[in-house]
Amino acid sequence: MKYLAIDTTTKVSGLALAEDGRLVGEGFLHTAKTHSERLIPLLDQLLRAAGWGLRDLNFIGVVRGPGSFTGIRIGIASAQGLAAVLKLPLLGVLSLDALAWAGWGRKEEIVPILDARKNEWYAARYRWLADGRLRALSPPRAVSPAVLVRELKGMDGPFVFVGDAVEKYRDFVCRELGEQAILLPDYLGLPRGAFAAQALWRKWRENPRTRGEWVSGEGEERVAPYYIRLSEAEVNWARKHGGGGDG
Amino acid sequence: MSDAKIKCSDAHICILGIETSCDETAAAVLRNGRELLSHVISSQITIHQKYGGVVPEIASREHLLHFQQVVEKAMTEAKLDYGDLDAIAVTYGPGLVGSLLVGVAGAKAIAYAAGVPLIGVNHLEAHICANFLVHPHLAFPCLALLVSGGHTHLILLRGQADYEVLGRTRDDAAGEALDKVARTLGLGYPGGPQVQKAAAAGNAAAFDFPRAMLEPGSLDFSFSGMKSAVLNTLNTARMKGLSLCVPDLAASFQQAVVDVLVRKTLLAVEQTGVKRVLLAGGVAANELLRTTLTRELKERDGRLFFPPPQLCTDNGAMVASAGYYRYLARDFAPWTLNAVPGLNLT
Ligand SMILES: [Zn+2]
Repeated sequence: MKYLAIDTTTKVSGLALAEDGRLVGEGFLHTAKTHSERLIPLLDQLLRAAGWGLRDLNFIGVVRGPGSFTGIRIGIASAQGLAAVLKLPLLGVLSLDALAWAGWGRKEEIVPILDARKNEWYAARYRWLADGRLRALSPPRAVSPAVLVRELKGMDGPFVFVGDAVEKYRDFVCRELGEQAILLPDYLGLPRGAFAAQALWRKWRENPRTRGEWVSGEGEERVAPYYIRLSEAEVNWARKHGGGGDG
Repeated sequence: MSDAKIKCSDAHICILGIETSCDETAAAVLRNGRELLSHVISSQITIHQKYGGVVPEIASREHLLHFQQVVEKAMTEAKLDYGDLDAIAVTYGPGLVGSLLVGVAGAKAIAYAAGVPLIGVNHLEAHICANFLVHPHLAFPCLALLVSGGHTHLILLRGQADYEVLGRTRDDAAGEALDKVARTLGLGYPGGPQVQKAAAAGNAAAFDFPRAMLEPGSLDFSFSGMKSAVLNTLNTARMKGLSLCVPDLAASFQQAVVDVLVRKTLLAVEQTGVKRVLLAGGVAANELLRTTLTRELKERDGRLFFPPPQLCTDNGAMVASAGYYRYLARDFAPWTLNAVPGLNLT
């Protein structure tokens, strides 16, 4: 099974070509350019370098959030476009699930943190089990760094932090959690196509049809974007009109 | 555009046009520049209505939710496979950046996977090109009056894709002023059609709103003073406890907007000597504007051309039409094409 993994949920454009979970080629761009400018040229280079054609692919996978709203949409729209023309199944995974692969096999808890702006993180907690399975300990959410760190202080560490918020909050996390925190550097802890490729392969093998993530080439169902947050206008409207918003 | 297959002949050119610049997700397949094989629009109007206007983040989310479905429907209705297409044309500006990016990303992926060229289309040019769908043999030069929620432009077209902007609004677009007045009058969104509907039962001479013509000879527009005058009239009446006749207000305001648009267009005709005029954009569907301009131009041995109403609002057919002429000129976009929210006509 040959597949393409796309992750544009952060400032990194991450692509991977993989076969049965084995990484064949990878593209990583963390430059000032936009996903829109980088994505297809990077894909084109990667396919050429690997000697693969689009027609060799058996499915396409995309990271569907949380992360940058625009990035999520560019990734999904691109994946959908490719899948529609090539008549391939499309599969989605969460950015934080994919990032947990940056800490594969570690004994400590893995805590992916993504910059959610407004002084918040998109975060979740994971643990790698002895049998090689990944267990999610808490669902993805938007949370202030202070709140999450306070929660972690009450638990047994240490915690391995990965994700694009690590650099910006390195001092804060070290100060608050001291030796309880292990912060992976960018080259190990930023989102990468390789991580998405692993998360996707696992999802593929675990019968995606039953996980609600599957889309056939014909497309009755779609890979849904996972924003976590409502838009500002919806939040304000709900506040003004009472109630919790209508989605 | 290294591997994209480009036909040697221009026969049977099929172009998929994609439009997501504002609040319509639209796609259409066009053969040879005039044969519309499909025309699909998914409108978000009802979703934005409760906010009184288009909310950019919600618009972007809605585009992504409907994009794939709209494109697939356009392909199915056209009875074509992606492999039958010769190019993908997509609006890359002006518009809302998040909305544009959904269409641009999707269009690029489709073009890349289908192995056909990508064409970046200027939304304003697309509105003008809606005219060529129904009047394919229009001769140049001609003038275009482009009026929509976001734009009010007077343009001289010397040839296909050869534009000179003669005048533009210095503040509100005509459609924007209509939207704001409609909201104040409680007529709802979008304002243009609502004002037109209310105006039908009103007296256009009931109120005399100012028609800003700016300095002599200028082809620029200004609608903010006119809009303020309506709001002031309303406020003054409210303070006195008077209630005003909404149809009269709507009719008088519509008349003022149309008067300015018509006078400026006729001035452009006079200045350039060009008597063929194209109407384009959402406000081009306005009946009063059409009939007035048609009559005035006829008196001057000129002629007004306009698209049918369903091609005046944002749609994929006009993008495919603009794309067709870019295709003939072999004017293709690189894979690095980005959304340009403030794109101008050049
Ligand atoms: Zn428009």
